[in-house]
Amino acid sequence: MRPLTEEETRVMFEKIAKYIGENLQLLVDRPDGTYCFRLHNDRVYYVSEMILKLAANISGEKLVSLGTCFGKFTKTHKFRLHVTALDYLAPYAKYKVWIKPGAEQSFLYGNHVLKSGLGRITENTSQYQGVVVYSMADIPLGFGVAAKSTQDCRKVDPMAIVVFHQADIGEYVRHEETLT
Amino acid sequence: MEGSPENLSSNHDECPVFMKANREMKRLFVGGLGQGISETDLQNQFSRFGEVSNVEIITRKDDQGNSQKVFAYVNIKITEADLKKCMSVLNKTKWKGGTLQIQLAKESFLHRLAQEREEAKAKKENPTSVNTNLVEKMGGVDFHMKAVPGTEVPGHKKIKKVQKGPMESKVSNISLRTNEVMESNKSTQPTTVHRKAPSTAVPSKSLHVPSSGTQKPKHMVFHTSDFEIIWNKSRMSDDDIDSEEELKVMIAKEENLQKTRHSLVNESENDPFEVVRDDFKSDTHRLRSSTSSGNDSDCDSSDTDKIIAMKKNTVKVKNSAESSQPEKSISMRSSFKKIKPSNDCVEVQNTKSNKESALGHEGKFLNPKFPPDSNTSDSEESEEDEEYKALMKNCPRVNLTLADLECLAGSHQKVPGNDESDGSQNSSHCKFNTTSKSPKTSNDLHSGRQCICPEEIVASLLEEENTYSRQKTEETTLKPKFQAFKGIGGLYAKESGDKTLKETVDFNNINEQSRSSLKHEEPDRVFIENGSKCTNGSSNKLTSCQPAKKVNNPNHIQSPKRQSTSESQSHKVVSFTCFDKESQNPLSCPLPLKGKKSLSAKSHKIESDRDTCHQPKSRKASEKEDTDSSNITSLEKPPKVSFREDPQKSTASFSLSVSDASCMSAKDKHAEDNQKRLAALAVWQKAREVQKKLVHNALANLDAHPENKKTHIVFASDNESETEETSTQEQNSPGKELVTESVGKASGKLFDSSDDEDSDSKEDSTRFNIKPQFEGRAGQKLMDLQSHFGNDERFRMDSRFLESDSEEEQQKELNEIQTNEDELAAERKQTLNVVQSVLNINLSNPTSKGAVAVKKFKDIVHYDPTKHDHAIYERKQEDNEKESKVKRKKKREEAEKLPEVSQDMYHNITTDLKEIFQHTKNTDEKEEDTPWNEDCGREETEEVSVAATLTSGAEHTSGFTFSFFDSDTKDIKEDTYRTEPVKRGKIVYQEDPRFQDSSSEEEEEEVTKEADHKRPSPGEAFPVECTRFFFFSENDDRLHGRSILPFSGVEQVVVQLLLIVYSTQLHLQVLTHCSLMCFIPLHYKAFRGQ
Repeated sequence: MRPLTEEETRVMFEKIAKYIGENLQLLVDRPDGTYCFRLHNDRVYYVSEMILKLAANISGEKLVSLGTCFGKFTKTHKFRLHVTALDYLAPYAKYKVWIKPGAEQSFLYGNHVLKSGLGRITENTSQYQGVVVYSMADIPLGFGVAAKSTQDCRKVDPMAIVVFHQADIGEYVRHEETLT
Repeated sequence: MEGSPENLSSNHDECPVFMKANREMKRLFVGGLGQGISETDLQNQFSRFGEVSNVEIITRKDDQGNSQKVFAYVNIKITEADLKKCMSVLNKTKWKGGTLQIQLAKESFLHRLAQEREEAKAKKENPTSVNTNLVEKMGGVDFHMKAVPGTEVPGHKKIKKVQKGPMESKVSNISLRTNEVMESNKSTQPTTVHRKAPSTAVPSKSLHVPSSGTQKPKHMVFHTSDFEIIWNKSRMSDDDIDSEEELKVMIAKEENLQKTRHSLVNESENDPFEVVRDDFKSDTHRLRSSTSSGNDSDCDSSDTDKIIAMKKNTVKVKNSAESSQPEKSISMRSSFKKIKPSNDCVEVQNTKSNKESALGHEGKFLNPKFPPDSNTSDSEESEEDEEYKALMKNCPRVNLTLADLECLAGSHQKVPGNDESDGSQNSSHCKFNTTSKSPKTSNDLHSGRQCICPEEIVASLLEEENTYSRQKTEETTLKPKFQAFKGIGGLYAKESGDKTLKETVDFNNINEQSRSSLKHEEPDRVFIENGSKCTNGSSNKLTSCQPAKKVNNPNHIQSPKRQSTSESQSHKVVSFTCFDKESQNPLSCPLPLKGKKSLSAKSHKIESDRDTCHQPKSRKASEKEDTDSSNITSLEKPPKVSFREDPQKSTASFSLSVSDASCMSAKDKHAEDNQKRLAALAVWQKAREVQKKLVHNALANLDAHPENKKTHIVFASDNESETEETSTQEQNSPGKELVTESVGKASGKLFDSSDDEDSDSKEDSTRFNIKPQFEGRAGQKLMDLQSHFGNDERFRMDSRFLESDSEEEQQKELNEIQTNEDELAAERKQTLNVVQSVLNINLSNPTSKGAVAVKKFKDIVHYDPTKHDHAIYERKQEDNEKESKVKRKKKREEAEKLPEVSQDMYHNITTDLKEIFQHTKNTDEKEEDTPWNEDCGREETEEVSVAATLTSGAEHTSGFTFSFFDSDTKDIKEDTYRTEPVKRGKIVYQEDPRFQDSSSEEEEEEVTKEADHKRPSPGEAFPVECTRFFFFSENDDRLHGRSILPFSGVEQVVVQLLLIVYSTQLHLQVLTHCSLMCFIPLHYKAFRGQ
């Protein structure tokens, strides 16, 4: 467990900023306490200071996880967001996509969102913009990347992919063993 | 969108009005108009595509009157090609500040009304011929008319209809009706029509039952994903909540849906999704409500209710029923409530008694058939009569509705069978009509067309409840019956709390049936009759009959036997032999009279089948009960029930008793039924009692068990003696007591310990105590020391060895914490920097925030006055005070300076005044001055009576007024001022004390200075002044009167004062009068004191 290097921090923040934009600073600088990012087993954890102190008592190899896992660094030192970060991304998300109830399940099984399943989308969503996917009942289901901009979404045929799947809450079940 | 050609053609067949060669009159919806668009604009715009006949611009405004959206209907004669062209050219183009949305609109409802009227007339002329063919034809046609995809826009509700699929045909009919009703009510507003649309859309419900209308669509919603959105839209449109954008999007969606109709695949051609803004916050509540059927139905129903309420008061009554509706569907209660609406009387008496008990409803249920029998009042009866007539007219329809029910059930039975029954049983059907007066089925259409008349409308209005019930029944029929039964049964089981009942759901279902039949015999029969009539030899009967029963289900105690009775009842009803001799219920009489129907063998078979289905279950249930209770139930049944046996049934039924019950003859039914019911109740109660006893005994045995059994391990520590006792009880022989004791110890107490162990345990308990001396950092040291010595008793470390924490250590700790915090802060700073670089924004705030936070923490200092450092924290208040004092002084001085200015004034004024008055008393002045000055000097010491001063003051003022009126206008002001009572003067004085104070003092001082020169002895002054008084004659009564007072001279003094003031300087008076008036009370006090 160690703090992130600057480079790592940058990589991670660049990723997160795709979803929440400048709201990122709200994650770093929180009024309700000190929160920081810690790297452990290539995974980045978002930890409150209190938890951090408690976790300091546990040796590194025994420590499974602490705080909330935001994602992990791949071997190529790219950052990959995990669905566990959804709780922090969803409230701050700038661009959102709501999917119809019929398409929910498909998305929750790891599939991309087709236009036919697109219920609502934030305007001015640009292509490859990170979006948080909601159900029509405003329950965050996961996040992905907009495959088409909002304008393009109007034109494409219904079977076209509009949101690339990145993570969904179905992973809590499907990837139970890898999520920490 | 562009209306499938067949639809149009069919339209043309029906309504030649709208058709002309190629160019047809179309109604276009043009949405998204700008604010300033006029009709002529639109006309010009559209005239290039066709002949524009009429343009109607509609503006929707919100509460504040701001127009939210503007749209228009354009009647245009246009060819198909042109229309397409128009759409493609104009649709979604920007025009005068708005994005145009062009859609086909439904024809204005007035048109439709007229058209339908015509159709109705045509029907009446040749009703028979129409019947068979038109069923499909009309349905289809109507559907086209109403459900032409493009037509929805204004109402937003069409979609529902479109999606209904099989029920569309009915929808058209309903909408037709709605229109009629609307017309009759003269409510020409299109909006209301639209709002109505949802209710109309529901196949089986009349417009009067908005809740039902809304409910159905909900069910549909869940099947199709898109539907929810639409639903939302419709609601939104009703509420006018939405932003224009959303509405537009929604409209687009609707368009889409209309195009696609049943197939969702095509939806996406337009935008099936909304585009929302960044700050969009979806109304989850709304969404949820839409998903949850109950809420939505309430909301929408309320909406529609409002509309309807305008027409009739009865609707309001209905609301209450509606509100409870969603729950009803779930709970048994619901079924119970369903019964109410099903009763005709309820409908008729909507205004009066909606909440009557179910039984009462039963009683009234038959009223419409035989008004004289009814318990209702005359007015009600009259109403009923009217209804009855209307119903009679509708009779053929009713049959059709039943047929429809069958259709819905999926049996696809033929209409002709119903028709046959129609002819013979119109009268009998009337009863049913009352319950199901507003059939909205397609079948009804052709028959119902004839009946489209004002009366019917009125009747339908009156019978909203009725329709409501209708809808319910239909719903039930739609559902698989067994499923429904299960649900209800389960619920019932919960209510009753009967465990045994819960064991078998099926059993419950059956019981329910029996219950319903038992308690509501009449309604049941009616329903069953209807069922039998309608379904001659079809399995549909089952469906129709069972729902009816369901509807009638009240919350009543059920008994396993009743099932059989109920079945027997149904049989009775079906069989013609049923003539009630006993007729326990007056209501039951009509039924036998009508029992002319010939039961077909098929129906019997069906019933028998049903029995076979149910009976095994019932048997199981009964068996289960029997195990617990006595077999009385089974025994009792056969004697009562079995008068007739159907061979088929007997074969089918497994248990004789049950079969007997099912095969019961109809003759003695009622009596038997009642008896049976009572007996069943009794038996059931007995059974329950027995059960209770069993349970009780079992429980008692449980309690007793420990006594009988030996080797139970008791985990209680304190009850050794008890265990001993029990052991002694068990083993009577004293010789074995020892053994028992040992046993008791061994077995009874698992963790029991011997005496020496006890002491150990005590030590143990102390051993594990937390030792305060080892706590903390110093304690750790001590602990280390202790461990170094081992367990040696001599070197046991206790608190005496505890070193007090050195400050260094504390400091260290603090430092550590500090460093940690610093590290974190630094880290955060770093991360923030990264954030900054990533986001390319300047984050000045966060860093400062952090600094502030740190500072805050450090800023808290415990002030120690002894420490020199803390002098910094001391605030020097003295300086401030001094400063303030100085300032005050300065202020005072400034304030005091003001009077000087007034002094100047005084000089100016005095000259004038002197001139005015001098001619009267030149000589007097000086002399008068002196006494006044004296007075000023003595004022504190001299004695003045209050009364005298007051009166004199007042009088003098009056005197002044007289004198000054001529001279100066200023004086008038003074007079007004002076005439006020003395206290007032004081108040004025207080208002700006500094100014007055200083001025008066100064003046006094000045005056006194002057007085010093001229002061004569006070004793001399009085007599002189008395003679010289300006306003008073020498022997003034008033003065004399006052001389009675103890201090007679004093008043003179005051008078002198006033006179002096008056004569010398008027301006001064303004100031001095106040002061004088204030002084007077002071003097008075002084006198009193003396």
